[in-house]
Amino acid sequence: MQWLTPFVGLLAAAVAVPLLLLLYFLKLKRREAVVSSTLLWKRAVQDLQVNAPFQRLRRNLLLLLQLLALTAMLVALAGPVLSLDRGPGQRYVVLIDRSASMNATDVTPSRLAEAKKQAKVFVESLRSSSAMALADRADHAMVIAFDRHARVMCNFTSDKRQLMVAIDAIEAGDGTSQLSEAVTVARAFAQSPGPDSGPRSDEGLARMVLFSDGRIDDLGAIAVASDELVYHRIGESADNIAITAMKARRSYEQPQQVEVFVSLANYGTQSAARDVQLGIDGDVRAVRSVTIPPRQEGDETQEWTPGKVAVSFSLTHEGQGVVEVRQLEPDALACDDAAWSVLDPPPKLSVLLVTEGNPVLESSLRACPIARLDPCAPAAFDAMEPSAFSLSPYDVIVLDRHAPLHLPRSCYLAFGAVPAGIDVNSPGELENQVIVDWRSRHPVLQYANLTNLFVAQTRALQLPRDAEVLAEFGESPAIALVRRHGSTFLLVGFDVLASNWPFEPSFVLFCYNALSYLAAQQGGGGPHELAVAEPIVIDDVAAGGEVAVTLPDASTVQVAPDPGGTARFPGTYRVGLYAVDVPEEPRRFYAVNLADENESRIEPGDEMTFETMTVSAQPQGVQRANVPLWPALVLTALVLACVEWLIYNKKARI
Amino acid sequence: MARLDSLDVLSRKILQGKMQGERRSKKRGQSVEFADHRPYVAGDDLRFVDWSVYGRLDQLFLKLFLAEQDLTVHLLTDVSMSMSVGDPSKAQFVKRLSAALGYVSLVNNNRVTISLFADGVRVRLANMRGRAYLPQMAEMLLTADCGGFSDFEKACRDVESRRIGSGITVVLSDFLFKQGYEAALRRLIGARYDLYVIQVLSPQEIEPKLVGDLKLLDIEDADVAEITVSSALLKYYRRNLAAYCAELNEFCTRRGAVYVRANSTDSVESLVLNYLRRVRLLA
Repeated sequence: MQWLTPFVGLLAAAVAVPLLLLLYFLKLKRREAVVSSTLLWKRAVQDLQVNAPFQRLRRNLLLLLQLLALTAMLVALAGPVLSLDRGPGQRYVVLIDRSASMNATDVTPSRLAEAKKQAKVFVESLRSSSAMALADRADHAMVIAFDRHARVMCNFTSDKRQLMVAIDAIEAGDGTSQLSEAVTVARAFAQSPGPDSGPRSDEGLARMVLFSDGRIDDLGAIAVASDELVYHRIGESADNIAITAMKARRSYEQPQQVEVFVSLANYGTQSAARDVQLGIDGDVRAVRSVTIPPRQEGDETQEWTPGKVAVSFSLTHEGQGVVEVRQLEPDALACDDAAWSVLDPPPKLSVLLVTEGNPVLESSLRACPIARLDPCAPAAFDAMEPSAFSLSPYDVIVLDRHAPLHLPRSCYLAFGAVPAGIDVNSPGELENQVIVDWRSRHPVLQYANLTNLFVAQTRALQLPRDAEVLAEFGESPAIALVRRHGSTFLLVGFDVLASNWPFEPSFVLFCYNALSYLAAQQGGGGPHELAVAEPIVIDDVAAGGEVAVTLPDASTVQVAPDPGGTARFPGTYRVGLYAVDVPEEPRRFYAVNLADENESRIEPGDEMTFETMTVSAQPQGVQRANVPLWPALVLTALVLACVEWLIYNKKARI
Repeated sequence: MARLDSLDVLSRKILQGKMQGERRSKKRGQSVEFADHRPYVAGDDLRFVDWSVYGRLDQLFLKLFLAEQDLTVHLLTDVSMSMSVGDPSKAQFVKRLSAALGYVSLVNNNRVTISLFADGVRVRLANMRGRAYLPQMAEMLLTADCGGFSDFEKACRDVESRRIGSGITVVLSDFLFKQGYEAALRRLIGARYDLYVIQVLSPQEIEPKLVGDLKLLDIEDADVAEITVSSALLKYYRRNLAAYCAELNEFCTRRGAVYVRANSTDSVESLVLNYLRRVRLLA
């Protein structure tokens, strides 16, 4: 038996009991009534007192009952707890999984809520420090919530209320689940006892109590001792339809054309017919019905694999836009039912032409749909500071017979010279070459016919292994694609003026294709699509300006940039669309998608295979080790009060 | 007055022709009603010698006649404070009853004395006879107020010392006397007087409708009784009341008095016309 709040009970008793006695012994205020004679009444009272048995006792019975009821209530107030556990105090680390799969609603209201509930029951059943006890036998616990990262909600304490508040404060996230950080943090904390652990030494290992659905990525990398971790499995069902991948990109050829690729997975055992809806900026553009096959059961060596189907949409859309793909039927896990992609407007390039004078190339480039073309002398280019490129970046730098000294990160189209430092050698020069083969399917050479290309003089190219050869002379590659240091180099080994290419229609086509391709290489739309918990980073925010981030739940967060003008918003914990308003700039969108097959696979795992051992789920939920006695006491008080009332009424009945 | 009048009418209807006042006395005396003969002894009044018997028997006999005495009716009416309690009030009831009885007695040429008593006799109207006294009696009864505590014995002593002749005494009271009624009633019971005891109780006394924790105040002596009304208490109260009345009844019956118990809700008319005739107070 323990007392949770003994002093409250004592205090209340000190006030209430004397008050009741005082009330009871106060003289009853009687109503006055005039009668003709008290003669008979006095006799009746005498008779009553003489004849009624236990008269005095009955008078006191009411007081006794009242006192008993009051005592029951006061004891209930003191919070007695019948403790079924014995032994010295333990230390526990409560680990609560808050990854995306814990949002599944196969247990009502959700797995996370259920995990929190069970964790609370667990905390409730911890033994608390007792003012009455001689030895401190209290259990200490700490609370850690984890998805990819661990978050300490509460350090070691025996204060159950603090633990409860910490558990309540855990919010759902859409991240992936990785346990290793949480385990590391837990062990680190367990070695340094909490601030209120008092004089106790950190004897014994803190036991970890894990509330999870068992879908954790990195179990194989964690070693646990036996009995170190107890796993409480949350969740029941595996049925889930997820959008596991989604990509929207503009066609290389036609920038208005948007291709959307969607991959859907079915984790259930029944094939599922679903409608997939495609929308841009909130307007529904297409709905397609797909049937997703059921999962394929594996054997002993292999786990089952989900049934998958791919859907592609094609549509035209100019300008910026947000593509949303949604699986229309709600299921257990909502966060993988939709995916977003942000479309950039078709790029308008700014091109830097480094040449000593090449009217053919310049006019060909000017014929392409580019924003601007800046000619520049090679000497001037070499003189430019690399920092100048970060301020006004050129999407594509065209190098005409010039190998620059330094190569800022960009996309290059190089004619007749090989930039140094990209692992491309030029062992010598060749003469009178014709193209023997070219990759007409490659976007750069699309529609370009190089049959009649004759080159008087060219450099022989010796390419690294990962280079992509687009066109070949008999003895050397003619056009090649090399990626180095984050830059893309499209190398043309010969000088245009030393060939008949300017007279070929394929030259203009090549220029156009090359610029579009290189632009697409750079744009890519990559930074607009983030994984969960990946920060939104916005560079070049004007000083003093604040960035407003509108979250998927329509709340807005103001982010102040650091002195360097970079604003970071790390709070992308939920999937959805984040809108970012930078002062004096158009609104930007960032799509945060789950796109994680492991999280969408919500089937709760019965066991967790760690590096060292396998931990099975507890066969049943958390059991109460402590029985709070107050409800029974309150009930007793109620019954006593009723009995007292009945007796009083019986006595007063006429 | 209207009620008394209606009572008057009602009483007259029933009592017409009943010769109430001139009733036979047990004493032989001068009257027209023959009682007996007895032999003549020297000194007897010759006027009562029955000469026709002397003619037949040649002996002197005296004719004996019943003396016709007038009846003295003593109404002893309680007007102590305790009588003012009750709804309808007991005082009203006993005054009406006294009025009715007084009326009947006066109309029938009886000598009527009405004494209103509380702590001793407060008002007395003595030796009324004949209808002429009706207004006086009515005025006395109407103007009398309740007041004072009851001292029944003192009143009885007073009445006993003043009454002469023979007759009937009617006591109208609630008989809730703290000092007891036995000694007082014993004074009134004598050879020459018939005693009628009419106990009037209010319905509140018979069936109290009290609830809760009460402090009962005695209206006469401000005595206090603290009670908590309960079913048991009320049971004992009723039992006590019944015992008290039974005791009074037995006391009266044993001494040849007649006990009548009345509720102040009863109608005076029916009481007078039915019940009192049945107990032969009225005929």
